Amino acid sequence: MSFIDLLMLGFGEAMTLQNLSFCLLGALLGTLIGVLPGIGPTATIAVLLPITFFLPPLAGIIMLAGIYYGAQYGGTTTAVLVNLPGEASSVVTTLDGYQMAQQGRAGAALAVAALGSFFAGTVATFAIAVAGPTLSSFALSFGPAEYVSLMVFGLLAATILASGTVLKAIGMILIGLLLGMVGTDQSTGQDRLTFGAIELFDGIDFIVIAIGLFGFSEIIANLERSGSEGVTLAPISRLWPTRDDFRRSWAAVLRGTGVGTFLGLLPGGGATLASFSAYSFEKKMSKRPQDFGTGVVEGVAAPEAANNAAAQSSFIPLLTLGIPSNNMMAMMLSAFMIHGITPGPTVLANQPEIFWGLVASMWIGNALLVIINLPMIGLWVKLLTVPYRLLYPAILLFCCIGVYSMNNRIFDVMLAAGFGLVGYVFRKAKCEPGPLLLGFVLGPLLESNLRRTLLIEQGDPSIFVERPISLTMLIATVVLLGLMIFPAFRKSRQEAFQEEEG
Amino acid sequence: MKAFTALPLAAALSAGMASAALADWPTDRPIEMIVAFAPGGGTDIMLRTLAPFLEAELGTQFPVLNRPGASGEIAYTALSQARPDGHTVSSLNTPGFLTMRIDRKLRFDPAEICPIARIVEDPGTFIVQPDSEFQSLADVVAFAKENPGAVSVATTGMGTDEHLAMLQLEQAAGIDLTAVPFGGANEAKTALLGGHVTMIGLNVGEYATSDQDSFRALAQFSEERSTLAPDLPTAKELGYDVIMSSERGLAARCDVPEEIRTRLSQAVDAAIADPEFQGKAKQQGIPLSYQSGADWSAAMPARLERYTQIFQLIKQEQ
Amino acid sequence: MAGPSAPDKGDKPDLLTAAIFVGLGALGLFMGWGLDPGSLAQMGPGFLPRVVCLLLIAVGLGVGIPALRRPAQAIEAVRLRPVLVITLAIVVFAYAATHLSFVLASLWLIVAGSLADPGGRWTHTLLLAVGLTVFGALVFVYGLGVQVPLWPV
Repeated sequence: MSFIDLLMLGFGEAMTLQNLSFCLLGALLGTLIGVLPGIGPTATIAVLLPITFFLPPLAGIIMLAGIYYGAQYGGTTTAVLVNLPGEASSVVTTLDGYQMAQQGRAGAALAVAALGSFFAGTVATFAIAVAGPTLSSFALSFGPAEYVSLMVFGLLAATILASGTVLKAIGMILIGLLLGMVGTDQSTGQDRLTFGAIELFDGIDFIVIAIGLFGFSEIIANLERSGSEGVTLAPISRLWPTRDDFRRSWAAVLRGTGVGTFLGLLPGGGATLASFSAYSFEKKMSKRPQDFGTGVVEGVAAPEAANNAAAQSSFIPLLTLGIPSNNMMAMMLSAFMIHGITPGPTVLANQPEIFWGLVASMWIGNALLVIINLPMIGLWVKLLTVPYRLLYPAILLFCCIGVYSMNNRIFDVMLAAGFGLVGYVFRKAKCEPGPLLLGFVLGPLLESNLRRTLLIEQGDPSIFVERPISLTMLIATVVLLGLMIFPAFRKSRQEAFQEEEG
Repeated sequence: MKAFTALPLAAALSAGMASAALADWPTDRPIEMIVAFAPGGGTDIMLRTLAPFLEAELGTQFPVLNRPGASGEIAYTALSQARPDGHTVSSLNTPGFLTMRIDRKLRFDPAEICPIARIVEDPGTFIVQPDSEFQSLADVVAFAKENPGAVSVATTGMGTDEHLAMLQLEQAAGIDLTAVPFGGANEAKTALLGGHVTMIGLNVGEYATSDQDSFRALAQFSEERSTLAPDLPTAKELGYDVIMSSERGLAARCDVPEEIRTRLSQAVDAAIADPEFQGKAKQQGIPLSYQSGADWSAAMPARLERYTQIFQLIKQEQ
Repeated sequence: MAGPSAPDKGDKPDLLTAAIFVGLGALGLFMGWGLDPGSLAQMGPGFLPRVVCLLLIAVGLGVGIPALRRPAQAIEAVRLRPVLVITLAIVVFAYAATHLSFVLASLWLIVAGSLADPGGRWTHTLLLAVGLTVFGALVFVYGLGVQVPLWPV
């Protein structure tokens, strides 16, 4: 069958009334849980998994996939409106998105995010359809050594996220790395830096840190600054992006889509890397990098396109090899297996309607999400006109339930409250928490892959420069480091001189 | 840390009423099923699939409560602090339940937790790439004898089933392998497919539900061939004394009245005999292997002895 | 990190940063002291924590020492009320959700949390508490299956 025939087959499957309804249901549900902080798609799908027993295989899988990418859309909303990243991938959206909301441009930020995501989703879906098997063999060529180089590069790129000094950003990344080491050491089973607390044996959960550092400390800081009366936003000038916004974001969306599709393929940290690599990349490309973090539209467009593209392309290893690239995909794998379908090359050949039906439904789902989300923007923006006195207790409640629901234990909520205090101190010290979160997410990947590489190579580090992909990334790291250090030094010396004189 | 002192449902009855409740058991209240792993894991999916069948059997509800963490210790601790009225059960997994006591100070007493029924026994197996030069376990052993340390084996961490199986093989064959820990079976599979490690350890259940063209299994580590892989030789048949399987089942506190534990055990037996459940288990690649609580308990000391010996090997290596 | 700072010298936020970095680095070193660093071929659990902590201390000093010489800059004023009230509200919520019930915990969180910002009307707070609790119960406990007792027992 030709490509077109297969695609038609897929759309034929996905457009049945039943599959369309489940696609819509999944997308709606995903948007809902994406908006609610702490309640992640993984937990929701786990709860819904038994229900899919009773659905036809494709309908069940379409619904679960809808929840997954719907949640990516929903997560943007809280990041922009209340500075609360629900997932690692929306951390960078808070940087400029929240600033835009403060300036009365929440509508523009959300609309650009939705349209950018739709575009990225479309491109990535077609990438799956056209080049899935080819792309997956690329993902396989990433061994431990390649991961180490990629993570080193990623961590360095994370320093670009902060608008303050590079040194502080590096310090925050290091703290993130340290937090990522808390828990049982994967290789030896020894517990590290846990203060002997059994609840820390599995490490700290991302949501605990994100809700503490962003959610709780934002509330405290807002109330401290001026009480709830004082939290007023600039009046909402217009709901939709201006022509200028479009002009500035289309290239960012394109670049974000490319970065996201590519990095989403990689198991583990790929999808997380995608959004902030896209942001860092955009900032480096920009003629006015100093404006990033103050509410520039490219700073929302690039990472949002990237995380949606990555969400789609992370299906590639699952569908073509049968290997899930993250927890979410592992749940999808269970959903397939409950129906006796084992994703992989065999399914691709023998049951093409499953693969192509899912691919087509993903595109339809993305279109539905835009249709759902664009009219919702008006509603979301209205939410910002609710007095903060009424808004913050609601945010507080949703954050608390979200953290509690992860493991059903008091400890996580206490820990999040602790991180709230830590985040408050960071604010006083003018340290930005974004790089910390990324260090936290990437650190364990760096450490475990470094140790794996050296185990396999029996202590010989020369593999890092012998493997071409690894070498390329190390060179990129050195170049980036050079670009960062020299201007930064020059600038800070200039500043120092000016201050001395002044 | 007092986080686990009282489970909400278990706290529902005051102590004085516990004996009165016995007469009504189990229909007066739901029976809470604590699962020691996160939603979506193998144990979680298996028990969520089983729950409706148990509900039909006993006429009460089985709500699932996930208490993941510390390879089960958090859930066992919660179970040992629940009321002993038969309204709280938990998942039980070996070798984790047995090995955690060997070199760790536990927050619960393993002697207070009694198995109700074993549901699954899933033997370990070693897998190589389909186009690998190694056709059999003997090929690997021969190569490793020539090149000590050059064969890398992906495991899911220190002291896990794969790691213990690898240590047994090292000892049985007199070879030196390199264990490379990965974050889970899927990461390990990816590394194998990309050719970054020589061999990975999986359970037969995981192997049987994977795409069969992508992997080649070398041997399974059970006493007898698993029903899921009847054509795969056991390591014993090949002349290597390697026995390693993971078991999953249910447990309750030992001071739950014995008649309640027996009743639960019978209910599990009846539930997994249901053809509908067996059909679902087959689709998910779950190797069902029922054992009553009493039989399972009786088999545990020998297993513990074996694991303790293997752990001595780890100590020597370090 | 107090340092000998004349009244018009010392960038206080940066000095606080330095104190955090050096403090956390030292804490990490102390906690990870017993961990085996291993060798390059068999890296132990203590290898990277030690490297990261030493780097953190170095970065802390790098931030702190120049800050001593910069012109004085004060840390924003601290107001304890929101800090304490919000933290206490969250901590009590956690215990109440497990041991009492979702409904009581949620009511507490909203009523207590509202005290962080004095001056609101009691009727508004109570209405908000009831409304959000009903919403939370429907969406989280019924809808999304969060495992928490709904009512006190």
